[in-house]
Amino acid sequence: MLHEAQEKAGYLSEGSMRAVSESEKIPISRVYGVASFYTMFHTAPQGKYVIEFCGSPSCVLNNGVKLEKFLEQELGIDVGQTTKDGLFSFYKTSCIGCCDEAPAMLLNGTPCTKLTVESLSELIGKLRKDNGKKKVAAVTAKAKIKAKKATPKKAKTR
Amino acid sequence: MQALEKARKLGPEGIIALLEKKGLQGRGGAAFPTAKKWRTCRDTPADERFVVCNADEGEPGTFKDKFIILHNARTMVEGILIAALAVGAKHCFIYLRGEYGYLKDKLEKQVAEVVSRSKTGVSVEVVLGAGAYICGEETALVNSIMGLRGTANFKPPIPAVCGLWGKPTVINNAETLTCAAQAILFDNWNPDLRLFSLSGNIANPGVYEFPLGVKLSTLIDLARPQRKLKAMSFGCFGGIMPVDEQMRVTPETINMEKCHHGAYSIILIDDSNNVVDIAYSIAKFYCYESCGKCTPCREGTIRILNLLKKIRAGDATKADLTTIGELAAHVQDTSLCGLGQTCGNHILTSLQHFPQDYEYFLNKKTKGK
Repeated sequence: MLHEAQEKAGYLSEGSMRAVSESEKIPISRVYGVASFYTMFHTAPQGKYVIEFCGSPSCVLNNGVKLEKFLEQELGIDVGQTTKDGLFSFYKTSCIGCCDEAPAMLLNGTPCTKLTVESLSELIGKLRKDNGKKKVAAVTAKAKIKAKKATPKKAKTR
Repeated sequence: MQALEKARKLGPEGIIALLEKKGLQGRGGAAFPTAKKWRTCRDTPADERFVVCNADEGEPGTFKDKFIILHNARTMVEGILIAALAVGAKHCFIYLRGEYGYLKDKLEKQVAEVVSRSKTGVSVEVVLGAGAYICGEETALVNSIMGLRGTANFKPPIPAVCGLWGKPTVINNAETLTCAAQAILFDNWNPDLRLFSLSGNIANPGVYEFPLGVKLSTLIDLARPQRKLKAMSFGCFGGIMPVDEQMRVTPETINMEKCHHGAYSIILIDDSNNVVDIAYSIAKFYCYESCGKCTPCREGTIRILNLLKKIRAGDATKADLTTIGELAAHVQDTSLCGLGQTCGNHILTSLQHFPQDYEYFLNKKTKGK
């Protein structure tokens, strides 16, 4: 339910949490308790583009720290903040399961992988130009996830 | 659907007996015998039972469940239906981690397709998490599905006896359920096959399937590191140990180094890195992901992180190394759930195996003066 509410407004406002509380007949404090527990629920307005940068060892080993600093500079905000123009929110996240394509981040829930300084600055540039008009998927088409094939194949080893 | 057909002929008792004979173990990390879990759930008197597929692989370095969902979701759903048949469940859930939200639509379609073809009348619902590592822990996962904060509970009761809405609930890892379907179907199914998630300083990361006992060098050859490998970390919770290419990868050999295999996610670290830096990123992770319910974990993870900060800044003394070791051991001994009980592993094992990396930071201070 909270996922749906968040999708509508981009974050969980007091009003939307009250609506959930009333429709589900549970105290608002419990709704807020749940909303504030989970990383992916936001109780304050978010940028049009929410960047969740992976901070797990596999990404750290693959230049992750450098890219994180670069993003902070490029966007002019620290981790956990939203840009003044309301375009970007920048977060660190725990592992997003893209360790095979590290370093990686989620952009509005879509994984962008094998990031480099160049690909990131190109992506940010494109997003700025687009200003939230197109869907993220259209902008990140290039960076879409490619699943690796496991070797040796299952059938062989069985 | 062949596995499900065969399972139908076997009947609930037959399914559990067959899995027991084949020795299927849980693949989430604890290696608990699956048949035993299913039997406990089945034998608990109740008017309703549930099956949950745990696809909340939050462990850093692990991406095998994502691989299964992308490439073999139908077998996984078949495994869920077999589990439902074995324990007598009418409603099943797949708990998909919030970070995998982009996989949800496709997964739901595949689930609907398999469920309708199976004609079992069982419902399978995909529930999306919202970014909490702790929710991979059984009791926290149960809370999360019920719409509560995902904090861990005391065990007992275990979920197989008292889980979702107080009813017996089987919770199995996505890989376990996929394997259950395969174990039922294939006569020559090998219980030792494991999915290894390899990542880190390597050119060819990915999911590889090998039997236990495989030589580490075989894995490393496939992974193609560019420099000499120094250490490997089993996810975050498994600990960090030196790379010995001749080692055979089995739970016993890993335990000998005081590490834990977990879900066989191996993060390979080359000699350009200091292990303390890796331990620091792991400590940050635990500090952030502790659910805050029990004091040792909530406070301990912060203290560990602060001590590591001090060490990395070059301000630490030998006494601080002793403190951090003792602290890690205490947190492990006194925490409530699996997260807290393992959150010091990376400190203890790195202190044991890589004292020189810690010394480097101690010396940095003296040199600086």
